[in-house]
Amino acid sequence: MSRVGAKRARVQGMKKDYLKIRLFLFSALAVLLILGALFSEQICPCDPYGQDLAKALQAPNPGHLMGTDAYGRDMLSRVIAGSKVSILSTLSLVAFIAVFGTAAGVFCGYVEGLPDSVLMRISDLCLAFPGLVFALAVAAILGGGVLNAAIALAAISWPKYARLARSRTLEMKGRSFIEAAFLSGDTDLQLMTRHILPNIAGPILVTAMLDIGTMMMELAGLSFLGLGAQPPTAEWGSMMSSGRSMLQTYPWVVLSPGLAVFATVAVFNLLGDTVRDYLDPGQ
Amino acid sequence: MKKNRIQNAIIHRLPAVLAAAFLASAALSGCGSAPPRTDGSQAIHAESSADSQKEGAEDLSSGEKKSLVFGDTTFNAENEESNIDPHSAYCGWACIRYGVGETLFKFSDGMELEPWIASGYKNIDPLTWEISIKDGVTFSNGKAVDAEAVKACIEDLAAVHERAAGDLMIDEILADGQLLTIRTKEEKPTLINYLCDPYGCIIDVEAGNENGIVTGTGPFIAKELVTDDHIKLVKNKSYWNGEPKIDEITVLTISDGDTLAFSLQNGDIDAAYGMAYASYPIFENDDYTFSSSPTSRAFFCQMNFRSPIMQDEAVRKAIALGIDKQGFVDTLLRGYGYVGTGAFPDSFSYGGQKLETEGYDPEEAKAELEEAGWIDRDGDGIREKDGQALSIRWISYPSRQELPLLAEYAHSTLKEIGIDVQLTISADHNAIVSEPEGWDLYAAAFVTCGTGDPAYFFTTHCLKDSVKNRGAYYDEELEELAAELNRTFDPEKRSQLAIQMQEEILDDNAFIFCSFLRMSMISKANVTGLSAHTCDYYELTADLDIS
Repeated sequence: MSRVGAKRARVQGMKKDYLKIRLFLFSALAVLLILGALFSEQICPCDPYGQDLAKALQAPNPGHLMGTDAYGRDMLSRVIAGSKVSILSTLSLVAFIAVFGTAAGVFCGYVEGLPDSVLMRISDLCLAFPGLVFALAVAAILGGGVLNAAIALAAISWPKYARLARSRTLEMKGRSFIEAAFLSGDTDLQLMTRHILPNIAGPILVTAMLDIGTMMMELAGLSFLGLGAQPPTAEWGSMMSSGRSMLQTYPWVVLSPGLAVFATVAVFNLLGDTVRDYLDPGQ
Repeated sequence: MKKNRIQNAIIHRLPAVLAAAFLASAALSGCGSAPPRTDGSQAIHAESSADSQKEGAEDLSSGEKKSLVFGDTTFNAENEESNIDPHSAYCGWACIRYGVGETLFKFSDGMELEPWIASGYKNIDPLTWEISIKDGVTFSNGKAVDAEAVKACIEDLAAVHERAAGDLMIDEILADGQLLTIRTKEEKPTLINYLCDPYGCIIDVEAGNENGIVTGTGPFIAKELVTDDHIKLVKNKSYWNGEPKIDEITVLTISDGDTLAFSLQNGDIDAAYGMAYASYPIFENDDYTFSSSPTSRAFFCQMNFRSPIMQDEAVRKAIALGIDKQGFVDTLLRGYGYVGTGAFPDSFSYGGQKLETEGYDPEEAKAELEEAGWIDRDGDGIREKDGQALSIRWISYPSRQELPLLAEYAHSTLKEIGIDVQLTISADHNAIVSEPEGWDLYAAAFVTCGTGDPAYFFTTHCLKDSVKNRGAYYDEELEELAAELNRTFDPEKRSQLAIQMQEEILDDNAFIFCSFLRMSMISKANVTGLSAHTCDYYELTADLDIS
């Protein structure tokens, strides 16, 4: 091996190591956030719903690290409790649309013909409207609530996965290993699940990872507009909405959930970027 | 080498620099595109039509015109104020508030009747009233206001306005010069009070109603109206009661309280109505003026007697005992309110100081529920009875900022006594409460003494046929007392009856009166003559000025 080749290999090795470190770091942070959300009830320092008007609107202090809101509720506890709704709802939503969209896409790409046309025209319909506007309309029709907001976002988000999975499936169908599997007696379902799906999973996983941050922002956005979580549920978007009139006078009421959204979205976006780089380092 | 690197850096970054410069210049030109107002403050929007541009040019040429921009959170279709036609729903509030219309009589600060367009009245017999119209009063189109014009206006009102027709019960109206005679179908001791309701604004019905703009007698003339956006008013130069000091007023609909606060801070508006309580500290300084007045706008809860759970007397009583009214007023309303006992503020002769009702007592509430069989058997903090959890559906709406605060606070205090509260705060509240069993408790805001007389609240909310008796409340004794009130002319006797009627509804816990609003308007320090009034009707008057 020439000296230039050795140097290039060493640089690539260092890049790979750096990617591994990033992947480990952001995965650890994401796991920490998910664990925090799962065990939020256990780690909240105070009752996130316990009101005490005598302590209303206290600035951050040793007793209340993020201050208190207009009802005297501990902001830190509400931010932690809010992570349960915000993070877990987002992860569930992304998991659902990724699974449903991918299943629809693989099915369409595999069978083609009429079912493909029908499903793709439905996805065209969903994509014909500006995303958040369509979600607002759906959420307004369904009424307030986290579940309804998630349904609204799912309605606008699944076509992305369906289209991606469909195009990759069409590409895979012509490959010789699929034909070989077919000749060896695999059924259609086995072909889709055992051979096509594993080979298209990489880009779908990367898309899903990158979608977490966007979905979290959109879910918080719907709650901010009153179409997501309803009071007094601790949810970051609705907490920012109810505190926005205090931005100038009691900024911690709106900044605390705002920082939580910022940090969480940043962690999941960076994790998504790292997973993408790791799975496809050539890009 | 180094030089090349610098050149490369410049070449690489040039597009970004140019883009930033373009954005900055666009932003700056955007900020500076609105022409300055002649009073030196910044204009907030430009006219689009050729006519309005011409009008604007004339304004600028005249040099010394005074203009004012008023931000209001309530002038919108959601509050049934899509225009200023007083004969349409609650649009009369905008008509009278913005100085376009005036009523025959008005209320003093103490809610006593005062002459306005009329000079006086006589009660000839229980069914007949004679009202004298002042000489010299004119509509803004120059037409004189005489008894014939008033008759035409009231007849139109009774024909198209269901609430007014029910209130006034007019049998016949006679006009003779400046003397108006009204005969009612039944005894109406409060007829003159009802004529002070904003729907009683005297408008020129012959002038028509173009896009909801009517011709009144007030100090300002409506020139342009866009529902949910703005109304433009100009001075009525021939105003009969003095010369208005402001030439042009733009009332902007700013439904969001935060936008309202920012608009007042950055000078887009000169005065504001409906500011969020949380924003008050920003304006509590010498640069701004607060005008506050206690009002009879009550924030209250109405129980749904069609709902099985609310038919349980103990549940209603526990809810009444479980709401901390004092904490709500002192902390969440920042003291800009009064604790409610009955339907009317304490300052009234039939007000809350003569009544007794449940105060905040969570222990007694718990005991009431225990006694009625509501016990928390599964330890989840919520009581159950016969397998049913004690959960109530609390409906309210967001356009009155106090209501979501009350709802969220009550959610907590009621949970402490074992009642689960499911909150729905929605602009679509009317549709929800129109479903007979789709709700348990409705929290609303209402001016209970809008006519200076107690009958108004009972006839609208508490009786079998009341339009706003959403929860189908019925009490036979209350119906009898209401009938007696309708026949009683003596004010003292009416006060006694009003107290008895409040006792009836409070004994049944059919309503819980949480607080009354201390209404505030905030203006820049250079605005004078903007005064909050007890009845919340009169805002923009001829006295309004800006220096």
